[in-house]
Amino acid sequence: MSNKMPCSPPENPQEIKVLRQLTKRSLDAKKLVYCDECGACTGSCPVAGILPTHFNPRVFLNKLSLEFANVLTDAGLWLCMMCYRCHKRCPHGLKPPEIFLLLRNMVIERGYLADAPAKLEEILEILRERIPLPLVYIWLCLRPCEEISKRSKFDSLVLDVLQRTLANSKKREVAPLPKTQKEKTAVIGSGPAGLTAAWELVKRGFPVTVFEALAEPGGMLRVGIPEHRLPKEVLDAEVAHIKELGVEIRTNTPIGKALSFNDLLEEEGYKAVFIATGAHKSRRLRIEGENMKGVVHALSLLRRANLQKQPRLGGKVGVVGGGDSAMDVAQTALRLGAQEVNILYRRSREEMPANPLEVKEAEGNGIKFHFLLAPKKILGKDKQVVGVECTQMKLGQPDESGRRRPIPIDDSSFIIELDTAIVAIGESSDISFLPKEVKATEWNTIAADPLTLETSMPGVFAGGDVVSGPASVVEAIAAGKRAAVSIQRYLKGGEAQSS
Amino acid sequence: MKEKTSILVIGGGVAGIQASLDLADRGLRVYLVEETPSIGGRMAQLDKTFPTLDCSICILAPKMIECYRHPNITLLTYSEVENVSGSAGSFTVRIVRKPRFVDEAKCTGCGTCTQKCPAIVPNEFEMLLGDRKAIYMPLPQAVPRITTIDKDNCLYFTRGVCKICQKLCQAEAVDFDQAPEKITLNVAAIIVSTGFNLLDPSAIQEYGYGRYKNVVTSLELERLANASGPTGGHVTRPSDGNIPDNVAFIQCVGSRSLGRGVPYCSSACCMYATKEAILIKEHKPKSEVFVFHLDLRASGKGFQDFINRAKENWGVQYIRGRPGEILEDPRTKDLVIQFEHTVGREVRKLRVNMVVLCPAFIPQESNKNLSKKLGVKLDEYGFFEAKDPPIAPVDTNVPGIFTCGCCQGPKDIPESVTQASGAAARAIEVITITAHRRAQ
Ligand SMILES: Cc1cc2nc3c(=O)[nH]c(=O)nc-3n(C[C@H](O)[C@H](O)[C@H](O)COP(=O)(O)OP(=O)(O)OC[C@H]3O[C@@H](n4cnc5c(N)ncnc54)[C@H](O)[C@@H]3O)c2cc1C
Ligand SMILES: Cc1cc2nc3c(=O)[nH]c(=O)nc-3n(C[C@H](O)[C@H](O)[C@H](O)COP(=O)(O)OP(=O)(O)OC[C@H]3O[C@@H](n4cnc5c(N)ncnc54)[C@H](O)[C@@H]3O)c2cc1C
Ligand code: SF4
Ligand code: SF4
Ligand code: SF4
Ligand code: SF4
Repeated sequence: MSNKMPCSPPENPQEIKVLRQLTKRSLDAKKLVYCDECGACTGSCPVAGILPTHFNPRVFLNKLSLEFANVLTDAGLWLCMMCYRCHKRCPHGLKPPEIFLLLRNMVIERGYLADAPAKLEEILEILRERIPLPLVYIWLCLRPCEEISKRSKFDSLVLDVLQRTLANSKKREVAPLPKTQKEKTAVIGSGPAGLTAAWELVKRGFPVTVFEALAEPGGMLRVGIPEHRLPKEVLDAEVAHIKELGVEIRTNTPIGKALSFNDLLEEEGYKAVFIATGAHKSRRLRIEGENMKGVVHALSLLRRANLQKQPRLGGKVGVVGGGDSAMDVAQTALRLGAQEVNILYRRSREEMPANPLEVKEAEGNGIKFHFLLAPKKILGKDKQVVGVECTQMKLGQPDESGRRRPIPIDDSSFIIELDTAIVAIGESSDISFLPKEVKATEWNTIAADPLTLETSMPGVFAGGDVVSGPASVVEAIAAGKRAAVSIQRYLKGGEAQSS
Repeated sequence: MKEKTSILVIGGGVAGIQASLDLADRGLRVYLVEETPSIGGRMAQLDKTFPTLDCSICILAPKMIECYRHPNITLLTYSEVENVSGSAGSFTVRIVRKPRFVDEAKCTGCGTCTQKCPAIVPNEFEMLLGDRKAIYMPLPQAVPRITTIDKDNCLYFTRGVCKICQKLCQAEAVDFDQAPEKITLNVAAIIVSTGFNLLDPSAIQEYGYGRYKNVVTSLELERLANASGPTGGHVTRPSDGNIPDNVAFIQCVGSRSLGRGVPYCSSACCMYATKEAILIKEHKPKSEVFVFHLDLRASGKGFQDFINRAKENWGVQYIRGRPGEILEDPRTKDLVIQFEHTVGREVRKLRVNMVVLCPAFIPQESNKNLSKKLGVKLDEYGFFEAKDPPIAPVDTNVPGIFTCGCCQGPKDIPESVTQASGAAARAIEVITITAHRRAQ
């Protein structure tokens, strides 16, 4: 070990001044002065929800003006997931994630973290204590990019540390935790929500079985998020540890087919159930030609690509949609050999729900964006896609989602030639396997108490995407943690948590 | 005797009413134009007023009636300004009286027609929480006390059947053939007092207004708390009619926001939320009431004391933080507020039975049109602009035209009334000066 301090912030006041100015200039500094510390960012931030003592965007922004030097060594700097939710909630439209990104780069590029690896190790330790997927988290959060790591000091350093940690993690063996309780819990779904709930319960001494429909655990981490953003070996290493701790995972066991929901309670003797089955159905366009060869839905393509059955895509690809899945599937299409990838979105750039960083990256990779057009009909020849007929749209009044509603312009149809059309207009849940005692909402999600995650059926809890609709890994993790607390209370008597 | 000098007041809220009374008492002839069927404005909708907790309509109704009875005031309700020309001392104004299909001179306000009318319509005065009929009096204390037929919802106008009201009316006041009437006035000065509107809080999507039943606005709450309101004065949850055990107020919804909503402070909401919090406590002392705020703006006399009393005597809990998210419990329709208590850095979730949003005050949409007719400038947000805010706060860029109340920016009732009296005094000055010039 070096005897250097793990962090060495700039001490020279002149340098701090220069840095602060640099930061201000790169940010929308005019707006930063309007931050009235209202806390809407922190109140909406999923990371602050699970790591409140380590991460607080409002406090961080405040420190930016009060104790700038300390900001550069603050652990919180490395925890932001770049989800942009705070930006959407901030009354002034500030962009905390971009501030974090800028500072992260500054710290590494200018060498203010003399021992950056130690800092990252510190962050991982914080995460390891609190969540079962610390490496998955940090991979998604720091977004190391192999391709650009050759020219970016930041990426090469992060990738280096993470790969080293991954190697160590694979070597590390964890001893199983003692089962001090006898009541068994069934968790349905092995995505981040299910895995977290199971991990938390096992830590409390409860026996847990996770039932997973697919052949491998991980949920969207396995079959949704592409390999280039989250290497599967990272997920494998963490799932291995979760199993070693004593979580039983039964794959290839879809509830509703292999076993019925009621079997779990009646035959198998589970005392509590946590439903965390996510949102795995791709929404359909419901237009003519959607069943033709050459039309694929985003999740099925991503799933095939992720399960190493590399489908090949040639020629010109069109992706319909403007969310994160659309960006991921477009990037994946490029990697699968597409010559040209076009994103077709029915509103304008401002309304696009996809993460701005992903959009920027997609553009950087040559993916083309076409705004304000909606597919009307998929055209084919001999049942094979040859193109899509689109209608030009314009923006009208805001709808319930607050975004301006696209309205078709009369007689504006035109044709875009395509070899493959990928539909990525959102995901929904399949909850047809549930008994009617577990009530659904009108959006086909499970009706659950947002605090306790109780459903309308006693002893049955639900969380993650199957309750919230497609959301994020951190929110799923938070749901898993909440579920564990509620289930413990339920099993050991007393009410579910109230705040 | 010479014809009295006339003045036009546009907008019959508390500001317009006060200005009209001041002028009429000074012997001037006042035409008070109000676009809805009754004068009263927002204040008529309020339950009580801060900081004295007086009954709002009890203070306002006598003034409304005085306007009606005053020999110098002509009420032109359900009317709009169509055209304005001329200059200080002599404006020519054309006014359109919309047909109310009820003869103002004959209707006695007995209400027989409204009882029997079969067409039920959500009541705007009750913030759509209650119903009215197609032939209706907007509020029990309406001035003038006469009914109006809402053509868009009347069965006779929409389907050609019914006319029940006409058959029943003993005064024979119902007249389906009434046509718009135009009148032309000559006035020496004009006072604009068209008030304000509230931002539709569904724009701040994460608070769920419009999606979650138990998220209401502050103005809706005033009606819920009011004894003559849709719930008979029981503050109940829209989802199930139960009286909530805990209620959270959210301040600055759309106010003080550079990104969305409006950048300014709406100035009255910190105080009226405190008032409404106390009202809830009065109705049910055991209930818990939370106020989520940025900083509390209590800048009037006795205001800070009012907030202190809310805390100390009533146990209202103030939490500094703008919530980030509200989620609904789909089973109970309770609401879970996700927030940071910024004093103490706590990230928390709070379950409440009901949420009250305090939305930004925004200018009336019709200001744009009216400002063109009058030639009066609007500010960047759409409120009427003062000629010189510090020294000529009620004057406008057009000599002889004045503004008062919330049409020139958010404010509370005392300030609106003060400005109204100020505008009346300024109008009289103009008249005196122009009369003097003419005499020379
Ligand atoms: C393409 C894509 C990219 C994404 N990128 C990101 C990102 O970068 N960052 C981020 O934070 N979030 C991202 N997300 C979102 C994130 O992956 C999800 O929000 C998160 O995985 C939800 O977790 P979950 O546990 O609720 O459900 P899931 O992860 O969906 O897991 C549900 C599991 O339940 C299983 N299951 C379903 N039905 C049954 C049944 N009847 N019986 C047994 N098992 C069943 C499924 O097979 C699945 O394994 C992305 C999503 C997609 C689709
Ligand atoms: C929920 C809530 C609670 C409040 N509580 C309090 C309180 O407790 N104490 C307090 O002091 N203040 C309170 N206020 C503030 C108070 O309502 C305003 O200060 C006051 O109503 C302003 O009066 P005004 O006459 O300027 O406007 P308004 O009351 O808005 O009246 C304007 C009138 O003009 C009419 N009009 C508009 N446009 C035209 C047009 N083009 N032609 C003709 N007529 C037109 C309207 O129909 C209306 O009758 C509260 C406000 C709200 C929203
Ligand atoms: S939401 Fe915006 S204004 Fe509020 S504390 Fe965060 S950055 Fe500042
Ligand atoms: S981008 Fe997301 S994770 Fe980062 S501070 Fe904002 S809300 Fe939190
Ligand atoms: S004619 Fe119209 S206003 Fe009269 S009673 Fe019938 S529906 Fe009501
Ligand atoms: S008065 Fe209070 S609640 Fe209203 S905008 Fe100003 S600070 Fe916000």
